[in-house]
Amino acid sequence: MKPAKMPTEEFMTSGHLACQGCGATQAMRFALKALGPKTALVIPACCWSVIDGPFPHTSLKVPIFHTAFEAAASTASGLKAGLEMRGDTETIVLAWAGDGGTFDIGIQALSGAAERNENIIYCCYDNEAYMNTGIQRSSATPVGAWTTTTPTAHYKKRPKKKMIDIMAAHSIPYIATASVAFPQDLIAKFRKARQIQGTRFIHIFAPCPTGWKLAPELSVSMASQAVTSRIFPLLEVTENGLKWNVWKDFEPTPVQDYIKAQGRFRHLSDEEVAGIEKDVERNWQEVLAREKLSATIPGLDP
Amino acid sequence: MSEKIVFKSYREMPICAMSVADMTWNLTGSWRNVRPYYDFKISPCRLGCPTTEDIQKYIYLVTEKHYEEAWRTIIETNPMPSITGRVCFHPCMDKCTRKDFDQAINIPAIERALGDTGLANPDWMAKASASKKQKVAVVGAGPAGLSCAFYLARQGYSVTVYEVDRALGGVLRWGIPEYRLQNDLLDEVIQSILESGPITVKTGTTLGKDVGLEELEDTYDAVFLGIGLTTSQRLGIDGEDGAGVDPGLEFLRKVNGGEKVDPGKRVAVVGGGNTAMDVARCARRAGSEVTVVYRRTMNEMPAIRDEIEEAEREGVHFHFLAAPKEIVRNGGKLASIIFQEMKLGEPDESGRRRPVPIEGKTFTLEVDRLFTAIGEKADLGCIEGLVDCKWNLITTADEYGRTSREKIFAGGDVVTGAASVVEAIAAGRKAAERICRLFTGDGEPESGEQRTIGIEDINTAYFERSKRTLVPRIPPEEAVAGFEEIYRGFDKELLHREADRCFSCGVCNYCDNCWIFCPDVAILRKTDEYVINYDYCKGCLVCVTECPRSCISTREEGK
Repeated sequence: MKPAKMPTEEFMTSGHLACQGCGATQAMRFALKALGPKTALVIPACCWSVIDGPFPHTSLKVPIFHTAFEAAASTASGLKAGLEMRGDTETIVLAWAGDGGTFDIGIQALSGAAERNENIIYCCYDNEAYMNTGIQRSSATPVGAWTTTTPTAHYKKRPKKKMIDIMAAHSIPYIATASVAFPQDLIAKFRKARQIQGTRFIHIFAPCPTGWKLAPELSVSMASQAVTSRIFPLLEVTENGLKWNVWKDFEPTPVQDYIKAQGRFRHLSDEEVAGIEKDVERNWQEVLAREKLSATIPGLDP
Repeated sequence: MSEKIVFKSYREMPICAMSVADMTWNLTGSWRNVRPYYDFKISPCRLGCPTTEDIQKYIYLVTEKHYEEAWRTIIETNPMPSITGRVCFHPCMDKCTRKDFDQAINIPAIERALGDTGLANPDWMAKASASKKQKVAVVGAGPAGLSCAFYLARQGYSVTVYEVDRALGGVLRWGIPEYRLQNDLLDEVIQSILESGPITVKTGTTLGKDVGLEELEDTYDAVFLGIGLTTSQRLGIDGEDGAGVDPGLEFLRKVNGGEKVDPGKRVAVVGGGNTAMDVARCARRAGSEVTVVYRRTMNEMPAIRDEIEEAEREGVHFHFLAAPKEIVRNGGKLASIIFQEMKLGEPDESGRRRPVPIEGKTFTLEVDRLFTAIGEKADLGCIEGLVDCKWNLITTADEYGRTSREKIFAGGDVVTGAASVVEAIAAGRKAAERICRLFTGDGEPESGEQRTIGIEDINTAYFERSKRTLVPRIPPEEAVAGFEEIYRGFDKELLHREADRCFSCGVCNYCDNCWIFCPDVAILRKTDEYVINYDYCKGCLVCVTECPRSCISTREEGK
């Protein structure tokens, strides 16, 4: 057998309660492989508070602090402070929240922690709706998507909140997006984040076959296509929110292949899909423009 | 697996709400309605190879730098990869899945590199001793005969090879010019085969003259006939036997034997096969202006495409849709040839469109020499009345070369008519296998279902488009100046660049994808395989989709 392409040590066990093809579990498995055993998790209400298993069981081999929906970042801040008071500066505190707990309910606590530049990693695993409570729309739900609160007759009309822009505006040292379809890249970003002090924000794209009305076997493929169709660019923002670096070295795939594969978009007409394609292109150009802009800012590392 | 904890009273609970056990008691395998399982297929290239080389396997072994094992893999079905890597018409590449993505893998170049590495490491070749009592006579030391001898000898059977010529190799030596296959290399390959086991050689021995078939049948436990096609087909027009008109094969034999030849200033070659290409290119090397005249079009030419292109690069002219009609001599010397113009009619039994003359349309080509290369036929006088023949070829009962006599086997061109080196090698090997079964009494092998895959089964998201790595070559101007080998072969870097392009269709190459992407940690990465833990596999089938090469199949549970 060849050398393994990623760390072989597992910090997540079988028997967890995630649905078939769950992207969030893949995200967790990769993140912990990158960060290692000296990691403490803070998980607010989200899928992962269920996936992990019922009390008194857990499917992770690192400690988890379950906290309230809005409190991931503040709990993580407190946990980190507590560990440091006890002389433990080594343990990484990882706040692990869904898109609802990040984009909507937890954004105040996150903004506060980021502004204080708390020494934590905050990771949002984004499945683009409140999946755990029954697929309600969040501000991370993409335009055009069906959810139980945006039925097909009134599908989501507002675009996805630009969380990376918001976090960049907080001038934190490290921001990155990652995808479960690109585990090596994901692991590299977590390892990089591990070495940095201050608030680090990692946004992982993690498909939800159940909530997306998607065959479970396509979940990784969708995550991959989200990147290659430029819907979810893989990028890093360093130098306190100033330097953008976008991954462009891939063969682009059509946006409509991504849209048409998912039941949550099935009601869209061709014109509506064309509209989404236009939005995707505009957002992609915006991200590229930001990258170009960083090159013109004096004093940044080239 | 842990136990599920059920508290019977609050006293059993931990002092705070904390986990005290893992979740492995929860056998999520019960959620599954479809079961994935590892199920390797046969890569299409292998099915395309007449001698069924395990191409995927040896390319994979190259990527892992296990060159010896890779070489051994080829040797299992082909004792002369150095030769086929140079002269094969590589039908494997036509089947390569990668051709539907960007460009087919340069399989012969990899095969050649491995073959040459094997020659450079003679200790890789195991030396078999005469451990069995049976003896086999192999008549004809061309690719079929050498292959048959090799696979018999490595099983410990004593083999005596009878060859009419003074040197071994048959068509490899007399039919293939040195710019494609150097004699020194051929000698090395033959030597390696002869040294692999108890093989004795009797050169300069003609079947039917020096030794009779019945005599061989009496002396040996089995006989293999790989006597090939030795006589040129005749044009069947007047004046064919006069001065200036010669069989192309004779010319090639002289050139390959190192004789100085002067074919004349203007040469015409009639025919469209590999012999025609070789004759034309050899005549170019002797300084002639060469025109190949073929009665159909380039599309119907049986010659290897690369060889046709190479001939064009070397300045060989082509004239299609014409057949010689009349040979004109002036004072006993060849002056010109009148050609009948043709057009393509209905397809014949070979599937190619039959050429039909266009009434009244002819043209004249002034030439000093005409070489005929319209095919070769067998000389079966030596076996007449002993073995069943049909259409001047030996009749065999199956792919294992059984003839009408139990102890006599045959293979190669003398059975199939003009075919290829690799098909002859395959025939020799299969006959050897059948002869072994004759001796041991083992039953025929079962022919299993041969499932393969196509481009639609490849997850192309995992591959980047790239061009085929070409073999370095000397420029055509330089090539046509002599008999130096045109293609130089891969160095290590090129070898790995090309090997890394292989999709490894339908066969696991340990890419880790299934293990990486399993959301349920239900795929275990063992030392040399992955194992699905059905206690926990929820049947999401992400592994099936993310396997780039379709190694995992599915079936419904309970069925």
